[in-house]
Amino acid sequence: MDRLELCYLSAGQLSKLIQSREVSPVEVIDAHLHRIEGTETVLNSFITLLPEQAREAAQRAEHQIQLGHYRGPLHGIPVGLKDLFNTAGVRTTSGSRIFDNFIPGEDCTVATRFQQAGAILLGKLNMHQFAYGPTGENLDYGHMHNPWNPEMVSGGSSGGSGSAASAGQCTITMGSDTGGSVRIPAALCGIVGLKPTYGLVSRHGLTPLSWSLDHPGPLVRTVEDAAITLNAIAGYDPKDIASCRSEIPDYTAALTRDVKGLRIGVPKEYLEAPLDTEVAQAVQDALSTLADLGAIISQISFPSFEQSQAISGTILMAEAAAYHRDLLAKDGDKLNPPVRLRLEGGLFISAADYLRAQQGRMLFNRETKRLLEQVDLLAGPTEPVTAPKILAPQVQAGDQTIGTTAALTQYTRPYNITGSPAISIPCGFSTSGMPIALQLAGRSFDEPTVLRAAHAYEQATQWHKRRPPI
Amino acid sequence: MQEGNQLSRDAFIYLAQAAGLDTKSDHMNELYPYVQSMLKSIESLKNLDVSNAEPDMAFQPPQ
Repeated sequence: MDRLELCYLSAGQLSKLIQSREVSPVEVIDAHLHRIEGTETVLNSFITLLPEQAREAAQRAEHQIQLGHYRGPLHGIPVGLKDLFNTAGVRTTSGSRIFDNFIPGEDCTVATRFQQAGAILLGKLNMHQFAYGPTGENLDYGHMHNPWNPEMVSGGSSGGSGSAASAGQCTITMGSDTGGSVRIPAALCGIVGLKPTYGLVSRHGLTPLSWSLDHPGPLVRTVEDAAITLNAIAGYDPKDIASCRSEIPDYTAALTRDVKGLRIGVPKEYLEAPLDTEVAQAVQDALSTLADLGAIISQISFPSFEQSQAISGTILMAEAAAYHRDLLAKDGDKLNPPVRLRLEGGLFISAADYLRAQQGRMLFNRETKRLLEQVDLLAGPTEPVTAPKILAPQVQAGDQTIGTTAALTQYTRPYNITGSPAISIPCGFSTSGMPIALQLAGRSFDEPTVLRAAHAYEQATQWHKRRPPI
Repeated sequence: MQEGNQLSRDAFIYLAQAAGLDTKSDHMNELYPYVQSMLKSIESLKNLDVSNAEPDMAFQPPQ
């Protein structure tokens, strides 16, 4: 099989070929390393590439499979981890040269679970410094570039994860999502990004940004791959105090394509916010497709949406500043300037304001819970605009000019506040060829419904089959 | 120290010092307006009716 074709197969497709021994993990890893070699100078997805380690792991996987010890759909599959996931013996920088030589002694739980599933780590992915930004701009390791147009941002903070999965450099990538940092790069790079329910996937061994808002999640090219990945990494971890002891179903069993009678609510406030007209139309068309498939679409009111930036921003800034307090005092001048300002700004939030934001969070969550009793899913655009130019401080969203950070987190932050599962899936392209995405969010621990609806839409359309021109 | 959404320069410097920042650095001239803008952006929280809401961070005793 052609090497590029191997790079664009999903894990679901690749796993069948690997299991039946039509394709060897060694060929798969070689194909991906070749792809990385041909695209990395443009994309800058990686901070640390591990070619020798990956080739050795591929040979071991090939041998195990030949002996009949096939572990499952991730065995032999190339994976990339955002560079704040600790990996034993492999440097983990969190996107900052301050930690250029930091080598963890222990794998994070997610890395351990990938290893147990037989996945092969290709490398550590570039990111917005300390995960504190939605664009994927990084002055220490270089900016990440969008595979659909390298002049545009990949999105962040899991920017390298987005560009690597979109460009076929990795089959599966992992990011972390505090205000949208899995869903934003997924949306801007034209792939699938899942933020699971808070506590479903362990945060142990990840550099925190905001303890109560951080969610690890996959960036992949199909909804099936999101389900396959979740099967491997979800589940209780005693090392993470927020980890939930909920029963873990087989998430791939949810992919029935049946959405008849599924109630999907679209907050009218989403459409009243700054929003590009092409994005609005693509999302409207996506909802029509879901209606044609049997879903019941209705407009609802979500008044608390207006408070989401203030609630989420206060909590995030205060928690991030608390975590990085010592670093700021010692090495603040070594940080990327925008990240430094955001971290230092958090030091000025009073305890009373932080607690008020947490009270606001309680009210926000009550309202969302009520809405998700009326409907099964909340839907809307993931992003109000397509990927902006690298270092653009503002974007044009409809007839409004707004700050890039505010724009890119506008629709994603609410589901970090609630901890709800939320997925971003491709739903179209702008006239300039840039991806547009639909976001679906559901009740806590109801990933099956979120995945079911996302999969049904994906399989009824062709967006997921398009490849960037790189 | 704070009136409405205004943080006086003196209050800002006091808080920066308490937070361990180098208040003699020129960087304070960049940070001060940023902090003012940030505090303004979260001002709307004061309008929430939180009379019936505890902070969403319940303590769970060890089990």
